[in-house]
Amino acid sequence: MDTDITEDQRALLDVSSRFMEQSCPLTVVRDGERRDEAFIATYRRQAAELGWFSMLVPEALGGGNISGNGVLDAALIAYRRGALLQPGSFVGTNIVAHAVAAAGSPPLQQQVLTALIGGERSASWAVASAVSDGRLDGGVQASPAADGGLTLSGAKTAVQDVEASSWLLVTCRAAEGAAQVLVAADTPGVTVTPLESLDLSRRFAEVRFESVTVPAAAVLGSPGAIDRQLDQQLAIAATLTAAESVGAMDAELEMTVRYAKDRIAFGRPIGSFQAVKHLLADTSLAVEMSKADVLAAARSLGSEDGYGTEAASIAKALVGESAVELAQNCFQVFGGIGYTWEHDQHFFLRRLTTDAGLYGDASWHREHLCQLAGL
Amino acid sequence: MTTEQTNTQTNTQIDVESFRLEARAWIEANLEPRTHGVLAGRVDSEAKSPEDIARARALQRRLYDGGFAGISYPVEYGGRGLSSLHERAFNEEALGYVTPDFGAAGGVTFGAIGRSLLAHCPPAFLQRHIPRILSGEELWCQFYSEPEAGSDLAGIRTRAVRDGERWIISGSKIWSSGAYLADWAMCLARTDWTVPKHRGLTWFALPTDAKGVTIRQIQQINGNAEFCEEFLDEVEVTDDDIIGEVNKGWAVTQTMLVYERGAGEMGAATVEPRSLAPDLVELARRVGRTADPAARQAIARAHINDYAQYHLGHRIADRLRASATPDPAVAAYGKLASGVLAPIRARLAMEVGGPAALAWAGGDEEAGRTALNYLNGRVTSIAAGTNEMQRNGIGERVLGLPREPSFDTNKPFNEVLNSARHFDSKVG
Repeated sequence: MDTDITEDQRALLDVSSRFMEQSCPLTVVRDGERRDEAFIATYRRQAAELGWFSMLVPEALGGGNISGNGVLDAALIAYRRGALLQPGSFVGTNIVAHAVAAAGSPPLQQQVLTALIGGERSASWAVASAVSDGRLDGGVQASPAADGGLTLSGAKTAVQDVEASSWLLVTCRAAEGAAQVLVAADTPGVTVTPLESLDLSRRFAEVRFESVTVPAAAVLGSPGAIDRQLDQQLAIAATLTAAESVGAMDAELEMTVRYAKDRIAFGRPIGSFQAVKHLLADTSLAVEMSKADVLAAARSLGSEDGYGTEAASIAKALVGESAVELAQNCFQVFGGIGYTWEHDQHFFLRRLTTDAGLYGDASWHREHLCQLAGL
Repeated sequence: MTTEQTNTQTNTQIDVESFRLEARAWIEANLEPRTHGVLAGRVDSEAKSPEDIARARALQRRLYDGGFAGISYPVEYGGRGLSSLHERAFNEEALGYVTPDFGAAGGVTFGAIGRSLLAHCPPAFLQRHIPRILSGEELWCQFYSEPEAGSDLAGIRTRAVRDGERWIISGSKIWSSGAYLADWAMCLARTDWTVPKHRGLTWFALPTDAKGVTIRQIQQINGNAEFCEEFLDEVEVTDDDIIGEVNKGWAVTQTMLVYERGAGEMGAATVEPRSLAPDLVELARRVGRTADPAARQAIARAHINDYAQYHLGHRIADRLRASATPDPAVAAYGKLASGVLAPIRARLAMEVGGPAALAWAGGDEEAGRTALNYLNGRVTSIAAGTNEMQRNGIGERVLGLPREPSFDTNKPFNEVLNSARHFDSKVG
């Protein structure tokens, strides 16, 4: 995916990959206990030094990117992250930084952006809810509080990589319609309950809000009038998540092709059998199409050419379905060994299936596409 | 396959955007605007009539005289000597205008055949044919597959025998698109039966009206008859008609396959599909299903399919353009995508159409189009190399997986058929 890029982009990617390979190789990804809060904090600060969290924030607010298209730069990093199944709130922190930069009040921007860009704190987007009916603002109700503030009640689920010091961007429902507020995870009334999850490379939590009041300065945009901002946010999150998936797809396919060349059965490498070869060729085509679509979405979104939200939904739907199918196809080539804990394959299966469902699954994005087209 | 490279090296005098402006001005002054657009998801399969071809020839002549035929062909043979990017710029500018439409024969003539000739024929041959091709006087077709050899193309059995100064060709060919309209054919024949299959093949140019050539149109599942079959009964050609070298025809074949599988479209105009599958939205409206979640999912799937194919196409064209010798296995991605996605696209339309796509009032062409497209959607999974052959190409030449054991690559071809009749699975 990163063959046609600038020298600066290549340098950023190479130094990022070295950092990931040294600080968090697959052995560490597999060992959840080693990835404690101290580990994650160090990892985040080092990643911040590489510029991982500044790309979606304008220079005037302390951010910046290297190519002029921050979404593309972030997607390329996400792609490299996916190949190594990296933990930590990359998509979440970037999305929250983007949202605060785009729609936050100046005091909020001052309070939050430097800490996010510098890696002192992370952030997560609390958007999914157990009973959402496909809406982004489901699960949490916002009622008016004094001086334009909002009081939140309800719960969000599958919130990624929340830490004690995290900021939470909560998409909730006010009387006027969808609203967004930024709230610290350690605010009284906010309960973060760790969840068990299919994906073992990241952590997920349920976040409950019991009459949590936030001031007007922490409300992003005007409740009921943030649909465009939400579409944009979701499009970026979908594109970066799809980019992480494509990285993981590429890595898993490479691992599987290598196995098909090495594994001998009936006196031949199993990859010489057309039943296996054709499966892998189809899978490789799906990876090529996924790369093409993710790059198209990132280019479109980052250059604001008017088709970004649609392109992002297309990429998320295509990559989500392709990724789940790829995991199954690769599993089929590995046979029994792929069903063992010891083999890395299931970490990819878990990650890809999870990514396919985050920020809208394939069906959701297909319906979204119809709505964006006015159908 | 150095034509592309040579062209870009020797013709840097006009950049793509200046050329685009020149093309735009010429097009506005010389071509007729199109009255209706081309819709995504439609496969134009209609067989061309001699009148259609006469019109296309006249229009091609106009392009040639205006200096816009063979934009990426060498100047010495009547082309402009520019790159495929220049060609694409012209085609993009011409999208809204009526351009020469030779049907499938046009793509074959200006793509696979023209490119293969440039890569493998001596200047005298090219002087004789290329200017006539570019000016619309010579339309070509492929005498390529045979009733007994399709995917295994190197297994063809048409023979060419030397007889003094002449070659005598006998055999039968099939699946030649537009042969009934073509003036010339590029014909693959076996010239040595005592060597393994890839090493005894030679390509010849032969006029389709030569003595001994019989061409018959084949009726297809969609009712049209665009494909043909040919019988070659002692057709005479000379050494001057040889394309490439005697017994080294496989090298020409490989050039041809790259272009046939999509590299020929490097200069083709394509527009990023940004409208949600317009044909299916229209169909859903007609059958009152725009609010049906199942139909909406199918429509979105079709659009995602179109969009992905477009961007994959660009990705592949970039990869091919970046290398001096375009790799047929890379082109195979585009071919496989179209072979897999076209039938899916056609089936999605059937889903959206429901019963109305299965049966319609006599004469209602619009209503019958969904079913017609469904049938036409089969073409790309077989034509110009089956999906399975593309998967072999990708598996072996891109992913580097080992080949299947082969039973004929080292045997003299005249022993291959006999040993296949007594097949015992012994590799050799």
